[in-house]
This record gives sequence, C-alpha cells and structure tokens, in this order.
Amino acid sequence: MRTALAIARKELSVAFTTPWAYAVFTAMAALTAFYFTDLLRAFNDVQGVARRVGWAQMSPDFNMYRNLTDGVVVELWGSVLVITLVVTPFLSMRLFAEEKRNRTFELLMTAPVRPIEIVLGKYLGGLGVISATLALTLVFPLLLSVLGHSESGPALEWSTVLLGYGALLLWGATCMAVGLFISALTESQMLAAFLTFCVLLAWMLLGQVARRAEEPLRSALSYVACDLQLQGMIKGVLDAQSLVFFASVIGFSLFLTHRAVDAQRWA
Amino acid sequence: MPMIEVQHLTKRYRERVAVDDLTFQVEAGEILGFLGPNGAGKSTTMKILTGFLPPSEGVVRVGGYDVEAQPLEVKRRIGYLPELPPLYVEMTVRGYLRFVASLKGLSGSALKAELERVATLMGVTHVMDRVIQNLSKGYKQRVGIAQALLGSPPVLILDEPTEGLDPAQRAELRALIKGLAGQHTVILSTHILPEVTMTCQKVLIIHQGKMAAYDDISQLARLHGQAENASLEEVFIKLTAA
Repeated sequence: MRTALAIARKELSVAFTTPWAYAVFTAMAALTAFYFTDLLRAFNDVQGVARRVGWAQMSPDFNMYRNLTDGVVVELWGSVLVITLVVTPFLSMRLFAEEKRNRTFELLMTAPVRPIEIVLGKYLGGLGVISATLALTLVFPLLLSVLGHSESGPALEWSTVLLGYGALLLWGATCMAVGLFISALTESQMLAAFLTFCVLLAWMLLGQVARRAEEPLRSALSYVACDLQLQGMIKGVLDAQSLVFFASVIGFSLFLTHRAVDAQRWA
Repeated sequence: MPMIEVQHLTKRYRERVAVDDLTFQVEAGEILGFLGPNGAGKSTTMKILTGFLPPSEGVVRVGGYDVEAQPLEVKRRIGYLPELPPLYVEMTVRGYLRFVASLKGLSGSALKAELERVATLMGVTHVMDRVIQNLSKGYKQRVGIAQALLGSPPVLILDEPTEGLDPAQRAELRALIKGLAGQHTVILSTHILPEVTMTCQKVLIIHQGKMAAYDDISQLARLHGQAENASLEEVFIKLTAA
C-alpha cells in the first residue's frame, strides 16, 4: 500500500508540473463561470417579474427560482456534470498510455510492486487531480453565500449544495475510473482521451434514449443512465442506490484495469 | 547454487521464435557478457529474466525463486536497466530516484542515504535538482543506471548500459561494473565487443534466438577453432555469420 501511495504522489507531482492540469483547471473555471453568470441573469429576471406580479401569478415551473440554492447552484452543478465529462478524459488519458509510450511502464512492472498497487496508485493520483479541478467550482456557491441574501435565513442551503457537490465528486471519480481503464488499453494518449469521451458521452445520452423508449426497456435504461442516477443527489436527496451503482462501476473499471495491466505481459 | 538459472527458455511471438531453447547459469558474483547481433533476442531474454515478459516455455530462477511463481521475490533481487532508460522526463533527478527508491520499499533516512550513495557512485550529485528532460544523453543514461543500482540488488541486468556515453564515461562505467563483481551478479548486454573483453569473465553469444557460444572469454577463441590470440570480434563474426 505504501508503494501505491508513492505512485499516487508521483502522479500528482507530474500532473502539477506539466501544463495539462492547469489548462484543464482554467477550462473548468472559465466554463463554470460562464454558466454561473448566465444562471444568475436568468434568476434575476425571474425574481424581477415575481416582484411585480407576485409568485402566486406565476407558473409552477418557475418555483425553483424562489431561492438561490435551487435556482442557481443546483442548475450550475448540472452544467458542471457535463463539463466534467468533457475534461476528465484529458486528465485520465496519460495515466497508463504515457507510461507505455515512454517505456516507464517497464520500470513499474519490474519493480517489486504488485499490479494492483500500480492500478490503485494511478487511480488515487487521478482522483487527486479531478478533486482539485472540481474544488474550483466551490468558489461559486461561496460567492453566493457571501454576496447573496434571502428573506428567510441564510442565502444558501448548504446541505443541498454540498450533497450536490458530492454527486459531482462521485461522477468525477467514475469518469476517472473509466478513463483509467481505457488509458491502460493503448499507447496513444489521444486515442485514450477520445475513446473515454465517446464512452462517457454515450453513457450520458442513455438518459435521452430512455425517455423515448417503451417499457420495460425504459426502466432498464433509466437505471443505467448516469445522469438520471445522479439527478437525486444533485438536487440534494441522498440516494443509497446511486452510491452503490457508481461504486460498482468504479470497482468494475478498476478490476478491468488490473486485468489489462496484467495482460500486457502476454501481448 | 547459481544466482541465475535459465533452463530451456523459449519465447514465441505467434510464429516467430525470438528465443529458442536457451540454457545457461550465472554464479553469484560473476559478470556475464551477453552478446549477439541486433534482433538476436538479447533484450527479450532480459525482459523475461526481470519478469516483464512471461516465457513461452522453460524455467527462469533468480536467487532460487521462479520468475513466474514468485515474481515479487525475483523483482526484489534485480536492478534492471532496459534498452531505453525508463525516465520520467518531467521530474527532477532527485524526485525520480526518490520515486524509484520508494517503489523498491525504501523510506525515511535509509532512502536518503541510498540516494546519496548511488548519486555519488554515478556522478550525478551536481544535477540532482535538474529536470531530466534537460540533461544530456550521457547523464540520462547515468540516471538510468543509478535507478537500477538503488537498493543495491544482488543481481543487475543491464541492457546496453554504455549506450550514449562518451569514451571517458564508458571507461568509468566499465570500472564501476568491474567493481561490482563479487558482491553483485551482473548480466551485461552490449554490442561493443572490447567492452566485454575488459569487464566480463564469461560470455554468452546468441544468434537468432539460439545459443552460439557460452564460455570463459579465454577459452572462447580456442574452442571455436581459431588461433589462441584471435579477438572476440573475430569469434563473434564467425559465430553469427548467417
């Protein structure tokens, strides 16, 4: 286990000395800021109308705009979910592919380290980078809680905000596990990033397919669709079933990665 | 008990046979020169000895441990320098060596002392805080060798260690490897023949995956029907002429 931590530490130190991580941080911050300002403007508009005509006169569709938590932060988390899907492949691609291209994979595989420790170390390193990326988005609810105000108590309902953030972390961890596996299959970082992106996007689109499908396919698809699984947590409802679902996907991806690393010797 | 024991080792890639029924052993403290033309199967054999590749047939034992059955025990005993030094070019020399040392299970003050020892031995103390990317080829190679020496493993497997070094550094490295004899068992592959004559006691020549010669250097010329004073080069060319 100590060697796994050594590998994770090395991953982090390499990630933070190359420009890649910083480019991804910038993209994450810029895109989230873009959505954030957009959501704030929409929120303001609806509040303005409500002040004039009163909430009772408005369609129930606008109810979520009654407070900052549901009107801005929950919506923002929904966008960050998609941004995470786009940026994680660029963080996960180098995990194994680069080692193979540079022949440092040989160093790892001839060191007195078990393949499972290599996989765990790599994954922990990846988790560190994705957590750092997602931590940047916490700035936006913090801004709201400092600058925003509400007629009834604090501006934000932090339990909802943080549970939604937990859903983001869970999703980031899942994307990273899938990316880790795909990175273990190829020497080409570009191919690893592209394939990871395709797989994650297809997975997210399953929700759309589910909405149009007939029963019983519909229930089956909505169960495996990642965005539908995450919806509850994003809105602040803790759902044990989703936790188990994503934990299984992560576990299975790591298992496959382990097999792929082991099988490398037989290629 | 021999330190390295190879019996009927065969490695096939689909139809192509890379290593064909190789049997040899290296006694503890010996330096074996491992020769052969490019593509003869030297690197493949070394990769099998280190547990990176599985053999198709045959048994490899290092320090009495079977490479396939107890890979961790074997890997603990081997320092390995692959053909291309396995460097993380974004890291500093210190960061890199510290990482490899921790992979080998070193930590704390023991790790620090070992880093110091190996860096001094390889003459890289003054570049410890430089990024590997910016080092010259010779220094990169030295860092690669330093990595193999970390933890002072009883067996060293060096695949063309003098590659990329200038003549002075070569001489230095030869002296270093010679100094390792006795405490370390070394397999040294190279295609610079005088190097072998100067450092090794025994030579193994392979050609197209098969063993072509395996003997003490002094015996080699005589056994292969050449004049007593024939150079290793003459023997090599004769044996590997297709």
